Amino acid sequence: MEKQAVLGGRRVPGEVAVVAEASLDLQPATQPLPPRADAAAIALESQSCNWFSGLFSKLWSDKEVRILILGLDGAGKTTILYRLQVGEVVTTIPTIGFNVETVTYKNLKFQVWDLGGQTSIRPYWRCYYANTDAVIYVVDSSDRDRMSMSKSELVSMLEEDELKDAMLLVFANKQDMPGALPPAQVSEALGLSALKNRTYSIFKTSAVKGEGLEEAMDWLVNNLKTRQ
Amino acid sequence: MYALLSGLVKYMLQKDEYYVLILGLDNAGKTTLLERTKQLYNPGYAGIPMNKITTTVGLNVAKVDIADKNRIIFWDLGGQTSLQSLWNKYYEEAHGVVYVVDSSDPDRIRQSQEAFDQLVGDSNLENVPILVLANKQDRDGCLSVVQVKEVFNQSARRIGPRACKVEPVSAVTGEGIRPAMEWLAQTLVRNSKHRPPKRRDIS
Repeated sequence: MEKQAVLGGRRVPGEVAVVAEASLDLQPATQPLPPRADAAAIALESQSCNWFSGLFSKLWSDKEVRILILGLDGAGKTTILYRLQVGEVVTTIPTIGFNVETVTYKNLKFQVWDLGGQTSIRPYWRCYYANTDAVIYVVDSSDRDRMSMSKSELVSMLEEDELKDAMLLVFANKQDMPGALPPAQVSEALGLSALKNRTYSIFKTSAVKGEGLEEAMDWLVNNLKTRQ
Repeated sequence: MYALLSGLVKYMLQKDEYYVLILGLDNAGKTTLLERTKQLYNPGYAGIPMNKITTTVGLNVAKVDIADKNRIIFWDLGGQTSLQSLWNKYYEEAHGVVYVVDSSDPDRIRQSQEAFDQLVGDSNLENVPILVLANKQDRDGCLSVVQVKEVFNQSARRIGPRACKVEPVSAVTGEGIRPAMEWLAQTLVRNSKHRPPKRRDIS
């Protein structure tokens, strides 16, 4: 909630508000945002409180880990989110706006944001980058034609300054589909070897079958520990 | 005067950064070695519990300050056969290579040497120092350094005049890592005319 407001106050307030409203219209289940005028005030206040909140978040280590799930449309982001949260496959429709859920894994709380992946709404991803601990980038391994598009979205995302400390998990998803590329080839197609200053890992997953997600979360939990 | 002082301050805050690849077959102990090295050089660092380390499919990055002015950035890559094709993408920018060998697995030592041979023959790694670590020396019945050297000596011609050393270590117990890493740090500095480090301000 508050993070949202901070975002809105400091950066591109217009854009965030638009996204938020859009998602409100379509998905009344998501939390409403405070009015924009308040957002600026909260942003100011939170700046001065940053030091304190930093101290407190160190004292109480049960701070929520903020994760973004990104990827092209139809990659399986929403299916992964709900597979992680409730452990079963839910019927999904294309996400317009976002879904956000709290997932608990091995006593760690994750705040997982699943953002819509369609071309027209991809520019709004950047509104959610601040304070992100890890990005899960989902790729449809069987969609060879759009691999290069997926690569360019990934590259431009990783160039963002706000994500420079975020860990990267790539999910080579839909491994259950015939003709799915193996993770090494997905890695090559995405040009992951160009990453030199970021800890990343690629996992072969099948959200529908629930395969590979646990390994990925274990890796994430272990590597989060090494950071502080 | 100001220029002089600010120059001095800048110099004091500068670090030379060297990039070092950690390579070797899968299950050689590369990630364990990296975690142990991090623990040895950052006393406050807890790290991943040794039994929780899983197969790397991607990249682990770690910054380690070996000496006062030298910082090594390790790139730990996955060692599975399918992932070895990604190794050479990093050669051009690497200042050094740590090659980890599982001394307790004599059946695959030949395979390890073949991968090593390909690596040292790569033109992008010309003149790059290589540290070969005969890992898992804590295991009973493991190959000794001499035996590992014997196998890897077959690549002698390809190694050429570059700095190359075989050292016994155990990543699990941490034995032998410090002297090996110190040799590596010195060698990287000595080799800096071939591969100059990146200067970076730390502030």
